[in-house]
Amino acid sequence: MSDVMYAGEPALEAHGLGMRYRRGWALRDCTFRLPAGRVCGLVGPNGAGKTTLLNIAAHVLKPTQGSLSLFGEAPGSVESGRRTAFLAQEKPLFRRFTVAETLRLGRELNPGWDQRAAEDIVRAGNVPFHAKIGTLSGGQRTRVAVALAFGKRPDLLLLDEPMSDLDPVVRHELMGTLLAEAGERGTTVVMSTHVLAELENVCDFLVVVSGGGVRLAGDVDDLMTVHTLITGVREGEGLPAALGYHTLVEARTSGRQFTALVRPEGPVTGPWEVAAPSMEELLLAYLRSPDAPPLITPTAQVQGQASGTGTVAA
Amino acid sequence: MSTFTSPPTDGKIRTANRTMNGTMNATTNGPRHGARNATTAQTTRRPRLSGMTWLVWRQHRAAFWTMLAATVVSVAWIVYQRGQMTDFLDAYGFPAKNLDDAEKEFEPYIGAFSSVTTGLTAIPVILGVLLGAPLLAGDLENGTAKLIAAQSVSRNRWLATKLALTGLVVTVTTVTLSAVFAWWWSPIKLHYVDIDWTSREFFNTTGPVPVALSLLSVFGGVLIGVIVRRTLAAMVVTLGFTVALQMVWGYFKLSLGDIVTATTKPVSPGTPITFPSSVPRTAHAFDASYVSGSGKLFDLTTCTDTPAEEATTSCMKKADIVGASIDYIPISQMSSMQWFGASILFALTAGIVAFLFFWGRKRLV
Repeated sequence: MSDVMYAGEPALEAHGLGMRYRRGWALRDCTFRLPAGRVCGLVGPNGAGKTTLLNIAAHVLKPTQGSLSLFGEAPGSVESGRRTAFLAQEKPLFRRFTVAETLRLGRELNPGWDQRAAEDIVRAGNVPFHAKIGTLSGGQRTRVAVALAFGKRPDLLLLDEPMSDLDPVVRHELMGTLLAEAGERGTTVVMSTHVLAELENVCDFLVVVSGGGVRLAGDVDDLMTVHTLITGVREGEGLPAALGYHTLVEARTSGRQFTALVRPEGPVTGPWEVAAPSMEELLLAYLRSPDAPPLITPTAQVQGQASGTGTVAA
Repeated sequence: MSTFTSPPTDGKIRTANRTMNGTMNATTNGPRHGARNATTAQTTRRPRLSGMTWLVWRQHRAAFWTMLAATVVSVAWIVYQRGQMTDFLDAYGFPAKNLDDAEKEFEPYIGAFSSVTTGLTAIPVILGVLLGAPLLAGDLENGTAKLIAAQSVSRNRWLATKLALTGLVVTVTTVTLSAVFAWWWSPIKLHYVDIDWTSREFFNTTGPVPVALSLLSVFGGVLIGVIVRRTLAAMVVTLGFTVALQMVWGYFKLSLGDIVTATTKPVSPGTPITFPSSVPRTAHAFDASYVSGSGKLFDLTTCTDTPAEEATTSCMKKADIVGASIDYIPISQMSSMQWFGASILFALTAGIVAFLFFWGRKRLV
């Protein structure tokens, strides 16, 4: 666990990853890289393939196509099993176990278990140790599940919609604990959500999946700098021709105004207001326009990935 | 598999000594408070389950304890009943005096058998439905299979521990009941003719048969649960499976034995036919038949059209009937038939277990 990580060692690498269910492809040709030590938001609309991606990483599902590696090892290997913790969306726990027994489960089944860390998380929510899981509220149960994932002392923490049933105060507190712990230990975190507000000030890396494919992946700072939000007065039908020079992600019109999110290919000049987008604006734009050209920044590219379409130099 | 270990003292598990359920390690921490002392004494006296074994036992402890407790109660009841029966037999003067003459007086003791066998023959069905079907279906339905998959232990280890512990409890339970029940029956087994040893009440409850039937029912239920992935549905399907298994077993069990034929010495046609006397009293006899001079078999209804003795005799003479034969399976074959049948069931069970591990590799959770 105290392995010295060379700069940019990938915590997670997906290579042409595809998953087909009976009803069709849930994930297709997914290729990206997540450097170690990042807190990554995995964003996408419902049914976009977020859960599928996390389940493949957690060795719950086997991909139909391609491969995924965790610290260079296949999911399900002893090494990656030990270094990865996974909190499934439904936060499954044994209902008849007490909280103490649930933590004992973690202790019995994980060699690097940290009882103090797990207990502290439970205690912070005033969850009684002798209470049965079945009698706890949804939020308390989530807290115990988070404690179980945390006590494992993982190098990679996979969280599938972790905060969905917590009230804002608890969400904030638990997120704070999570980030503090992750920061202290250099834990890589992948957190799926469709609540964009959860991500602001939390993530330093983003992966947007939509329609089964990766639409956007990269360092948050990189992503913000390569996008520009342009607001201006509409002249006739459609967008001003001068904008066609840049890569258009999304354009919306309201009344005589238009708003466009573009990836400038040069200086943006014109009678428009130019601003940096907020993370939410950026994500919304990509989520609303599945046909926008995907963007995978160099930090998120796997070795040998074609750096042609959809990639830019950061 | 690490089954029993003392509380962890491994340096890596630094915090293991201060868990909340009072599992203090007496040697390292020393006694502190009175209440702590009690738990300390208890934990050091009894070996503690650990790792996966602890988890599986904890998850299914209600079922396991129920099975073990029910076994203890049944054994006590059988021991009591056997005592009652041997008291009667001693007072009656058995084995010097033939049991056939006891008739009515002995009936309550036979009645005691039938009430117990009703329960014993239902064990495979009960265990299959209540223990086998929910064993993995419950984890798949509640998502706890994912929870286990997220821990550091391998999935095969989880599957192996679950199946092994369940198999162990089922085996302990059924072996005990089988042995104790056979012990109850043993004094009269070769002497009391009104008990048919091939009946399901006795053939399926002694020797290796209850063990084999129960294991196949339980692991069959596990497999059904894995395919159906819903506890309730799996239980219903397993009920059908176990009942069907009982029926198929009942249908084929007699073909496990070698049928012996006893034939009388041929007499001249027309003289009265006697039946073979060499058939043991406890044997399971099939239909008897007449034998003609050419060795052809006729059923016993031959020449029964007329009540007149004259006509019957001439009819028998005409048919050239020179003797009679009886097909039977002696009780001495019981054990070999049970082992032969059980080995088939064990092989099927092994196949199911192999398939479960194969499934564990393919379809993960």
